[in-house]
Amino acid sequence: MTAPTAVMAPAISIAHVSKTFGPRTVLHPLELNLVPGEIHALLGQNGSGKSTLIKVLGGYHAPDPGRGEVLIAGKPLDFGSTKSAHELGLRIVHQDLGLVSESTVLDNLAIGAGFPTRFGTIRRSQARREAAQALAAVGLDISPAKRVAELSAAQRTGVAVARALSRHGGKVTVLILDEPTATLPAREVAHLHEMVKTAASQGVAILYVTHHLDEVFRLADRVSVLRDGHIVLTRDVVDAPREDIIHALVGGAVEPVRREITDVPSENSRPVLTVSGLQGDALEGVDFEVRPGEIVGIYGLTGSGRESLLGTIFGAREREGGDVRVDGAQLAGRPASAINKGVAYLAPDRKRGGGLMEMTACENLTLPAMKKFFRGGHLRIRAELTESSQWMDRLAVRPTGAVKAPLASFSGGNQQKILIGKWMRISPRVMLLDEPTQGVDVGAKAQLHRYIMDASDAGAAVVISSTDAEEIATVCDRVLIIRSGVITEQLTGSDISVAELDRRVLRSNESKVETS
Amino acid sequence: MKVTGRKFSPGLDRFSGLYLWGLFFVLFSFMAPRTFPTMNTVHLLASTEAIAAIVALALLVPMVTGQFDLSIGAIANFSGILAVIVQTNGLLDPVGAILLGTAVGTVIGMLNGFIVVKLKIDSFIATLAMGSILEAFLVIVTNNREPLPVDNEFFTGLTQTNIFGFQAVFFYMIVIALIVWWLLERTPAGRYMRATGFDREAARLSGVQVDKWSFLSLTISGTICGFAGVLFVSLTGPSLGFGPSLLLPAFAAVFLGSTQLVPGRHNVWGTVLAIFVLATGVQGLQLVSGAQWVASMFNGVALIAAVGLAVVRRKKLSRPKKEKSKGKNQGGGSLSASTQTHGTQGSSSAHHAGQVSEKRVEV
Repeated sequence: MTAPTAVMAPAISIAHVSKTFGPRTVLHPLELNLVPGEIHALLGQNGSGKSTLIKVLGGYHAPDPGRGEVLIAGKPLDFGSTKSAHELGLRIVHQDLGLVSESTVLDNLAIGAGFPTRFGTIRRSQARREAAQALAAVGLDISPAKRVAELSAAQRTGVAVARALSRHGGKVTVLILDEPTATLPAREVAHLHEMVKTAASQGVAILYVTHHLDEVFRLADRVSVLRDGHIVLTRDVVDAPREDIIHALVGGAVEPVRREITDVPSENSRPVLTVSGLQGDALEGVDFEVRPGEIVGIYGLTGSGRESLLGTIFGAREREGGDVRVDGAQLAGRPASAINKGVAYLAPDRKRGGGLMEMTACENLTLPAMKKFFRGGHLRIRAELTESSQWMDRLAVRPTGAVKAPLASFSGGNQQKILIGKWMRISPRVMLLDEPTQGVDVGAKAQLHRYIMDASDAGAAVVISSTDAEEIATVCDRVLIIRSGVITEQLTGSDISVAELDRRVLRSNESKVETS
Repeated sequence: MKVTGRKFSPGLDRFSGLYLWGLFFVLFSFMAPRTFPTMNTVHLLASTEAIAAIVALALLVPMVTGQFDLSIGAIANFSGILAVIVQTNGLLDPVGAILLGTAVGTVIGMLNGFIVVKLKIDSFIATLAMGSILEAFLVIVTNNREPLPVDNEFFTGLTQTNIFGFQAVFFYMIVIALIVWWLLERTPAGRYMRATGFDREAARLSGVQVDKWSFLSLTISGTICGFAGVLFVSLTGPSLGFGPSLLLPAFAAVFLGSTQLVPGRHNVWGTVLAIFVLATGVQGLQLVSGAQWVASMFNGVALIAAVGLAVVRRKKLSRPKKEKSKGKNQGGGSLSASTQTHGTQGSSSAHHAGQVSEKRVEV
């Protein structure tokens, strides 16, 4: 592939675009230009502003008012309008692809564009011809009659790309791929890269958003790194050594204050939680142990198995193999039996599976252990309310005294406090916390961290899985790095820092490519 | 929105049913002064609506757990007719017949539960089909001929005995309402059922055995319906087609009830209130107009109005929390969202209808 020259008119030109949400600046005024036929990799850690940038370009967010301007093939983008982005020839393939898996490739290609019709009747043969063309444009050799569910993951991504590029609705100038390989098996990545290159060779500028450093070198012409809302590096890939990119990604972040270990869990004490050979969704045999009073972090890229590990231990997700023991007793793989053995699990999404939004704070707090209130054939509601309000006071839930208010009426941080209280209340032996501070503000986050440490001081074995490196670095005594469904590395003591965590994750990703 | 505990307010919200009831009394007393405002009307309504209320209470239990039961009318009909036949054929004495009717209802309820929980068929479909199957059995056992009424004073006295001017059946309704209230509001089981109905996955992750409670809720519904069927034939004699007429008022009452007293929740006293408000409306209109179609029209309109109210309320409730929604593409349009909840989980009930249509707004 020839490196595009700077002389060509840009396919997309972003200038002075910034975005703030309330007091938080997510994107600082930034510039980015892509020329036709260029594959431009955009790298950035979680929370760097990547998704906000994509949403601004796609017309889902309007940027801050001011000098911000986006030109697509020379024409200004009308901010906040998805229609405008589409008309100017900008297409986005999201991570979830948006395909109907039970329908055929042909039908999926026609969704959005619409079938060619004559007098209201679908012209099958023409539709098939157009589908074949669209597939050929990305070099995908599959029958349009196949159902999407039968395709490989890379082929599915290919269909989504083909659909985005199909000529309906005008010429495509810019294609944005949002982490297309995040959920792709390593062996299918090369296939996807071929398709992306084929598309670029037809003059489409491609903004390729990814976590994976190696993809930059294998695929991209140029690379930009986004950190804390700034573009900190834009270079031709040939001029960008790996070390520079990593440095740009991780930055010289200030080391946060780490938890002072008062009682170092003795190496000899018996582990409470023993996980061996655990298999399941994206897990390929995970082994680790946690001792009482220990806080262990799980860190890894999206798709590494990090998201499913705790749920699989608890029984929220199906376990396909392996063994989980608490104090030597086996867990059956069902939430109810895990709770009986003293295991608590804070779900990663409080709206889906985490909390019962329509039920009251009190009812949420007591649900896992409410039999004690049932005496003499009657639920002792007053005792239940009293105990709940004590917990809410202890956790500093705002507004105070709202034990009977539905969970939905609390702010995110307070909802999370109630849900963590619900599990602290059962005095768990093991606490599995999946994204414990998802979407809460800084103040609540610090409070939640204190409660986690309290639970640990009370002798619980705590495991935290988080995408937030700072959180892991602040709270954990020991961090396990997970990749491709197995634990590959362990960090302890002074090795734990945000920069080091990210470096390890990126490095383990390198070795993944070398071995595969 | 300020968060407060549930506080007493005379608002039109949770007591609207009571106001409506009062309005009916005033209106119809004015329009039919000689026939409507009499003790006779009160006694008549109390006993004719008692069975409708019992069936609505039966439906309430699975609805709280997030399961539909569309077979309630058919179960009552089948059990009631069976209780008559075994007596007229001299197979069982009245007590045996009462027990048999109730037991048959229980078994059908268990069957519903099995189909929903084990075979993972959505309760809407499963119980709709069960209703049809029971209709077939009804024809098989009766040869499509209305059985003779039971000539037994104990059996008819079961419901028709006069207590303070009210027929006994009214007091059965009160007792059953108290039992269902105790179950739903004063036992852990009730809490588990409610959690299951509100959010099946969240309940499961909190250790609630959602399958067990779904099964039991359908079983309880069957039991109560079986008993209600026996009461019906004791009260008014056997008829082949009384079941279907119980279905719609029950749904209307459960939904309307969920907007009353404890808004946002299916609840016992709201349901009972709704049954009697609706019946008063029907009765009054019938006295005033003499038209035969009043009941069907009134119940149909009430069902739509009740569900509409519940949906509006739900939207209001979940509007104020303002958070950046992370869900990129939840639901993907209301149609797919609703089919998903229906098809896979078997947990959806129309009180999720509000959530579903809300997703559409978000997307």
